[in-house]
Order: sequence, then structure tokens, then C-alpha cells
Amino acid sequence: MKKLNNSKLALTLGTSIGLAMVAGSAMAQDCTTKIGAVLPTSVDWGRPIAETAQFAVDQVNAAGGVAGCEIEMVLRDTQVDPKVGVDAAKALVDLDGVQVLLGAVSSGVSMPILTSVSVPSNVMQMSCCSSSTAFTKLAEEGNTDGLFFRTFATTGVQAAVGAKVAADQGFSSVAILYKNDDWGQDLNNLIARDFEALGITVTASVAINDGQPSYRAEVTQALSGSPEALYLGLYPAEGTAAVREWLSLGGTQNMIMANSLKSDDFRENVGLQYLGSALGTDTASPRVASADAFVAAYIDRFDSEPNGPGLANSYDATMIALLAMEAAGKDATGDQIAASVASVTDPNGTPVTADTAGFAAARDVLAGGGTVMYQGATGNVRFDANGDVSAPAVVWKFTEGGTEEVQYLSLTEVDDFIASLN
Amino acid sequence: MIGLISYLVFFTTVASILAIAVLGLNLQWGNTGLFNGGVVAFFGAGAYGTLLLGGTPQPDHMGGFGLIYPLALLGGMVAAGLLAWIVGVLTLRMRHDYLAISTFGVAVAFENLMRNAEWLSGGAKGIRGFERPLRAALGDGFLYNLLFLLFVLLLLFATYRFLELLVGSPFGRLLRAIREDETAARSLGKSPDRIRLIAFITGSVIMGLAGGLYGTFYAFVSPQDVLPTLTFQIWAMLIVGGAGNNRGAIMGAFLIWAAWTASGWGLSRFAPVEMQIFAGSIQYVLIGLVIVGMLLWRPQGLFPERLVVSQSGHAKN
Repeated sequence: MKKLNNSKLALTLGTSIGLAMVAGSAMAQDCTTKIGAVLPTSVDWGRPIAETAQFAVDQVNAAGGVAGCEIEMVLRDTQVDPKVGVDAAKALVDLDGVQVLLGAVSSGVSMPILTSVSVPSNVMQMSCCSSSTAFTKLAEEGNTDGLFFRTFATTGVQAAVGAKVAADQGFSSVAILYKNDDWGQDLNNLIARDFEALGITVTASVAINDGQPSYRAEVTQALSGSPEALYLGLYPAEGTAAVREWLSLGGTQNMIMANSLKSDDFRENVGLQYLGSALGTDTASPRVASADAFVAAYIDRFDSEPNGPGLANSYDATMIALLAMEAAGKDATGDQIAASVASVTDPNGTPVTADTAGFAAARDVLAGGGTVMYQGATGNVRFDANGDVSAPAVVWKFTEGGTEEVQYLSLTEVDDFIASLN
Repeated sequence: MIGLISYLVFFTTVASILAIAVLGLNLQWGNTGLFNGGVVAFFGAGAYGTLLLGGTPQPDHMGGFGLIYPLALLGGMVAAGLLAWIVGVLTLRMRHDYLAISTFGVAVAFENLMRNAEWLSGGAKGIRGFERPLRAALGDGFLYNLLFLLFVLLLLFATYRFLELLVGSPFGRLLRAIREDETAARSLGKSPDRIRLIAFITGSVIMGLAGGLYGTFYAFVSPQDVLPTLTFQIWAMLIVGGAGNNRGAIMGAFLIWAAWTASGWGLSRFAPVEMQIFAGSIQYVLIGLVIVGMLLWRPQGLFPERLVVSQSGHAKN
């Protein structure tokens, strides 16, 4: 009956693309649990994030699904437009009855989804990639009802490690180029403060807007203070353009990159020969066996290394959400699932790996009343009271075939370093 | 079933808010022939104005004056009107494409100002901390959404009636006279510049109202809400609905927004799994096709302008 109503709706709403005709083929199996994903699939770097989430769902289904039911991930595009993203999330909650929403990527989309869909409808929202400090503030004010989590370490970790790299390399002056959005502005404010705490002069902080044909003016401004090094808080597309101009105008090759530039496109389009002294930071932790397993499984599935931004985070967000659903049991509501997140990311729990076997092992432990410690693609994920994660960090550099780790900072080292800055 | 109703309430609210903005554009373009390419700036001024005036105080930017809601919404409309007055005085002497380009520039400048002026608008993080009116009494569940929808529908109807009266009045005839032949209107002793400015400001205030309601509904606004895409969406709604016809403007808003959302919903449900990942891109193509098809086969829109002869040539006396 519901199917019929929905088909009618599609017709009345006037898409009239003839899609309703295939309604019959989409019949559900005996027991299917739906989860929603609201991700910017119409953007090039958004698509792999969605594929990785689906990958985690497939692994869990191979282990027999959650609470005996197969998981179906309903994927909706946000077009990076808040209206479209919120509408998609609302449709997923109201029409598909999902209790878990994965997404979104942009904080400007995740935030209205959280305030006008997730919290009012009591649905758990797990974002892979939203980094704005606004979520922490909202949680501190008690307005997220404990329903929001994110596997993307807050920008503070990224900024601190970037500043540490500069200090370790002995740079005394740095210019900053940052993406002019919430993530970039946060990053710029934080790292400028960290540089100052370490006695490093910031010669210029320049905002880079998307999609400009040339960044000559911005780059010239950054060059003017003759900095010893350049910090890049940019995404691959405008990062490539800005770095090309920077190098062609005689800027230094001493560059420090945020994890968003950990991309094959960036390496190929700038040229490896110019990136010899460039160091990147990231919050992933390849020290854990399950993280290697993730990389191996990813290569096995997609024939390439998981080098795009947010892939490991998207995987962990999906896995933790599904583990929490398993822990909460069949037909659990969003708040019950959110409350169960702690029991699958318990530092004292039984360690489980991030794959099909790990999920099956976790199911047994949870069925016996125990708790598990999820060892994921970004390390042993642990949420604080605001749903934020801190994380171990790595310093990396580009190589012929991808990226290579230069230095590893454990969670304690990262936390101690951040504490020493304040 | 409850879910379906709840979603439809949500959908109708957003569509009605957009319809109000389309009505504002219809007054400017449909009736007066002003090519406003910066709809989103006036929409955004309304949204930012309302949230700044009505929100709770925030440490990192100004605003949060906590005004009672009707005053905050009115303040948002005034902000849009002021912006329109400044922009109008500067640009309304330009015609068609020049006006479109300069107003488009104003909208881009507005977005960049909101993105960078952290002390004013919270920068790219946007404005939070707005308490939706009467939320404490009504909760924020289905009942709230339903009552808010009624409020929005009431304002949509009031705007519609106001514009119908305006367009049917001698002033409305004057607007059309200016649209069709400005020199002729001037030769009859009218002052096109002043009238164009009035129409521009009135239309923009209506867009500001829509923006204020939009900000209220999400209790949040960020620079991502004021990207040029919105201008394009509002224009598509007016073109499909029928420029010059208020009913068409409202229908256009509902149809385009329905196509926009339902195509995403339909693709997520019916497209094969391996195609899902491309659904976003397919959706763009489908929406583009609808608009191109409309322009090819029914350029006057679904509801064309009805030209009424308000005074018969055969006068009785």
C-alpha cells in the first residue's frame, strides 16, 4: 500500500520521467533495514566518499547484515545546496523511515540537516567530513541531543600537527593559503594561533576562493613577506592552480599540506619533481592492523589507493553507525542507536577489525553483553561528549606511486602536543 | 502514511517560501521588465537580517538582539528593501542585460561579504543560535511544522492578493506601460525612473520576506544558502510558470521544486545500485531538460500573462 502511494506521489509531483514504471522491480526482501546517506555525489570528490560508504555496507551485508536484516543504503545527492540536502534528508526520514543518516560533507549542509531534520525527528546523524567548530558549540549548548557524531577529527588536530611540522623543519616564517569556506577559515585561525605559540611568524594569510581562473593576486600577496615555507589548507582543484602560480613566481618548495591535498590529481597536476620537500599531515592511523586491512580491501575493490579526502572517515562513519545499530538491536530508534555508539567504541572493549570478519566478531561479543573497541581505517575511533574525535596523526609525503608515511604521532603524542600549545 | 504527510508538509513549506520569492521576481520582471540577476542578495538580506535581529547573542559575531519574531522578520524585509534602494538608485538606469550583469555582481558581492565579514555574519560558519518562534510551546515536531506551514501559506496568500490588487490597479497599468514602451510612458507625463525604483524595492522586500521565512524554518543561514544557484532556481520557476502571471509564478515554484526534489527521490529509489553514484549528475541533466523543453515548446510558460483591457474603447459617455 505504501509502495502504491509513493508511486502516485512520484507521478503527481510531476517528474514524469517514467521512473514510476520500474517501481515493481524495487520490491524489498523479507527483512531489510534502510539507512540514509546524504552526500554530494554530483561533485567529483563526493562520489568516492559515497562509494566507500556503500563498500562498508556491502561488507556488513556479507557478514549477514545488522540484527539479521540486510542493510540498504539509500543514497541522495545534496548538490552542495543546503535546501536540496535538507529536503533529501527529510524525505529519507519521513518516506523511507531511516533511523540513521550518514552525511553531509559540507558543514553548511550538515548543520541545517541536524537542526531541522535529525534533532526534531530523533535520528542519529554521523558525518564523515564536516569539520566546523560550530558543531562542537551546538553540542556544548546541549542542542544536538547527543545525536550527532563525526569521524573527521576537528580542525584543531590538523592545525596543531601542521604547526609541529613547521617547527620540526626549523621554519621561522610561514605564509598561509586557505580555502575560503568554514573549514578553511577555522583551519587558518587555528594554525595561525599555533604558529604564534611556537614562535613562527605568519607573513601572510590569504583566502583562496573556488573557481577563479587565476590566483596571481593572492599568490603575490603571499609571496610578499618572503616566507621560508608555505602552508596549504586547500582542496586539489584550486590547490593545483595556486601552487602552480606560487612555483612559477619563484615561491619556495617548502610546503606543508593539509590532508585534503592527499590526492593523486594534485600530485600529477603539480608534478612530483616540485613536491620533493612538501610534507602533508593527516589524522589517519596506519599503525593498526585493521587500517592496513582497509587499505588492502579498498585496493582490492577499487583498484586504487584510498587517496581522496574523507574516504577512511566515510568508511569508519558507516561501520560505526552499523555496529551501533547492531548493538542497539532490531527496530531501535535513532536515540537508542546514538546511545549505543559508546559501547562499540569502548577503549576497554574487545578489539574488532574493520571488515566482514570483524563485524561478525563484534556481533558475538555484543550478543554476549560485552562491549567492543572498533579499530577502524582512521585508528581506534573514540568520541568525546560532543561527538568529536581526536586522532593519532601522520606526516606524509608524495611518492611515485602515491603517498608515503614520514612520521607517526600516537594519540598521546598529539594530545600532549596540543596541550603544550595552550 | 504519517511519514508521507509529514514530508508533504515539509515540502509544501519550502515550495511556498520559494513561491513568495518568485512572486517578488514576477513583479520586477513579469510586470515591470526589470531583469534582476541578483535575486539571492535580497533573499539573503532577509534571511540574515531576520536571524541577526531575532537570534540569541553569539560570542564571535554581532547580532543576536533577540527581538520578538514579527519585528525580526520585518527587520529582514527592511534590510532587503534598503539594499534594493541602494542598488536600485545605482543601477536602474541600465537596461536589460546590463542591469542583469550588475545585479548579478551585487549578489556575488553579497555572498562574499557574508563569507568574509566574520564579525558581522559569522563568516563561512554561518549564523546559528536562532530560536524558532513559539518552539518552547509547540516543540519542534510535526505540529510545529504544520503550524509554520499555515503561517507561510497565509503570507503567500497575502502577498498574492496584494500583488493582484497592485497589478490590477492604475499603478499596475503604469508598470506594464513602462515595460512595453518607456518613452511613450514618459511622453504621457509619467516618471519611469521613480516607478521602476518603487517596483524594484517592492519586489525585493517580498524576496526579503521569503528569505526571512527560509532562515526561520532552518534556524540557520550560511553563505552556502546564498549562492547564485538560488537565483537560477527562482528564475527557472518564473519562466516555467509564466512571467507576468502571479498564479503562474506560484505554480512554477511548486512544479520546479517538485521536479528538483522528486527527481532525486525517484533516482535514489528506482535507479540500479551501480547507477546510484551518478544519480546526482543525472538529476542535473533531467532538470536542465525540463527547462529547455519548456522554453522550446511553451516559452510563454504554463500560465501565460493574461492581458486585460480594463477600459473598453467604446465608452458609454
